[in-house]
Amino acid sequence: MILPSVRRRRIDGGIGLVLAAIYLFPLYWMYATALKSPAEIFRNPPTFWPHTLHITFGRVFVEHAMAHYLWNSALIAAGTTVLTVLLGTGAAYVLARHRNRWVDAALFLVLLLQALPPSLLVTPIFVAFNQLGLLATPRFAVVLAQTGKMVPLFIVLCRASFAQVPRELEDAARMDGASRPMAFLLIMVPLARNGILVSAILVFLQSMGEYVYSRSLISSDALQTASVGLRGFLGTNTTDWGGIMSYSAIFVTPILIVFALLQTRIIGGLTAGALK
Amino acid sequence: MKLAHQRPMFDIAMLGVPLVFLVLICAVPVVYTVVMSFQSVDMFTIMSLRRPFVGLHNYMALFARPGARHIFLNTALFTILSVSAQLVLGFALALFFNRRFPGAATLRGVFLAGWIMPGLVVGGIWKWIFAGDNGVLNAVLAGLHLTRSHPFWLSDPALSLYAVIVANIWLGIPFNMILLSVGLAAVPADVYEAAKMDGAGPVRTFLFITLPMMRATIAAVASLGVIFTLQQYDLISGLTEGGPSNSSNVAQYWSWQLSFQVYEIGQGSALAVLMLAFTAAVAGFYVWSTRQEQAA
Repeated sequence: MILPSVRRRRIDGGIGLVLAAIYLFPLYWMYATALKSPAEIFRNPPTFWPHTLHITFGRVFVEHAMAHYLWNSALIAAGTTVLTVLLGTGAAYVLARHRNRWVDAALFLVLLLQALPPSLLVTPIFVAFNQLGLLATPRFAVVLAQTGKMVPLFIVLCRASFAQVPRELEDAARMDGASRPMAFLLIMVPLARNGILVSAILVFLQSMGEYVYSRSLISSDALQTASVGLRGFLGTNTTDWGGIMSYSAIFVTPILIVFALLQTRIIGGLTAGALK
Repeated sequence: MKLAHQRPMFDIAMLGVPLVFLVLICAVPVVYTVVMSFQSVDMFTIMSLRRPFVGLHNYMALFARPGARHIFLNTALFTILSVSAQLVLGFALALFFNRRFPGAATLRGVFLAGWIMPGLVVGGIWKWIFAGDNGVLNAVLAGLHLTRSHPFWLSDPALSLYAVIVANIWLGIPFNMILLSVGLAAVPADVYEAAKMDGAGPVRTFLFITLPMMRATIAAVASLGVIFTLQQYDLISGLTEGGPSNSSNVAQYWSWQLSFQVYEIGQGSALAVLMLAFTAAVAGFYVWSTRQEQAA
């Protein structure tokens, strides 16, 4: 009976591989198209792998001014991440440490706010920021709005890491005379640092692709992000699919690499956070 | 316990500052949307704080717009079809990857690559896949002798909504699969052993053990699916922008169009209010179902 089970596992592994390949086909198609020559892209029926390599990453990067779009995206993502970590870490700790009616109410509020669609909040944010003069610094305005979207996610993910730190460690530090802020900063934060770091990276990756706030709050093209730059390239009557797929590949490859490196930790954080 | 309660000020400050920020950046806009939905707001009154109140006029004007019924129907179809297909496919994949074989966890994790990608990039890739003349989908369908004509998925009003739904299902599968895997792993193994002893086959085991025991998880995942589907703006913008002639438009995209493209900010806000109320109800149900799960 041992042999059939080994065979069954091999068959399962094979099926799993095929399912993953089918699912990831759109991703493959992006890279394959990016590497094809214009003539090959419009061949009918299409070739399933590039016969002649035609690499235009450099041209697309320069012609579509990707340097400044990506720089703006990175700037907004970094600002959002810093602000989210500063605001969210303490809240995640408090929500993990206590369990009472107030904490339940706060947690409910956090989850509720996470559910609100940004495309519906952007109008009042636009009008309010306009009246406050915040649209004069549009990238900062996007950072503020995006932080509002990311803080709930960060709290939900980090709460699980703080919940795993034994309460006794904090109590011991308090016995030794540490104040609450000291115990939090010197004991709790270092012990939960992996969860904080992974959640922060997830916030950064999600904010790199931010779209609706940038599109609506930023009017100057010089301050615009890579998603909005791609939108302009996509246009209605475009035929430069090789260029669009090259742009997409340049945009997502770093995101995918970081994700691949942290995959297991991100999944662990997501599953612990979303259902508890 | 005692120590933690000596200085509640610290906890109140740590929780209070982010909550105040969230209320300012999320809750105040919700209230502001409600206010604007009863006002006449356009390009000229956007800067002033005094705007004429118009009662329910925006709501009536919204429903009177051509295409309003159509867009609400689209939104319902988009949500129901997306969430149910994501659940079924996600559940099937979760069940499959729950079988123990080498590389199962890694292969399962690979699926999340779709989830991490910027929504607009996903929209762009699917736009190319769906392209009528040179799109790979039509080539595959022709190769399998499933279609003779080359359907123009995105520019045919009869097909565009379904094309957007397919892309949205693709986006939502990994998240459903991962969360349902967690639920599956939580079902105690001895329950399955007992069922096996009683001679229950895989179908009966699934129907009478797995499904009932996962009820709370399924409810939580389904409500999260509704929430994420109602947030979907990037994908629609990348694929069809709601077109042609609103055939693939949904409420959350339309609300943005009303405010930012035709500057009917009052009507855009009225639509947003209706959607936000619905989202809040679903979110309440989600929190309630995770509570149920913890109690169980």
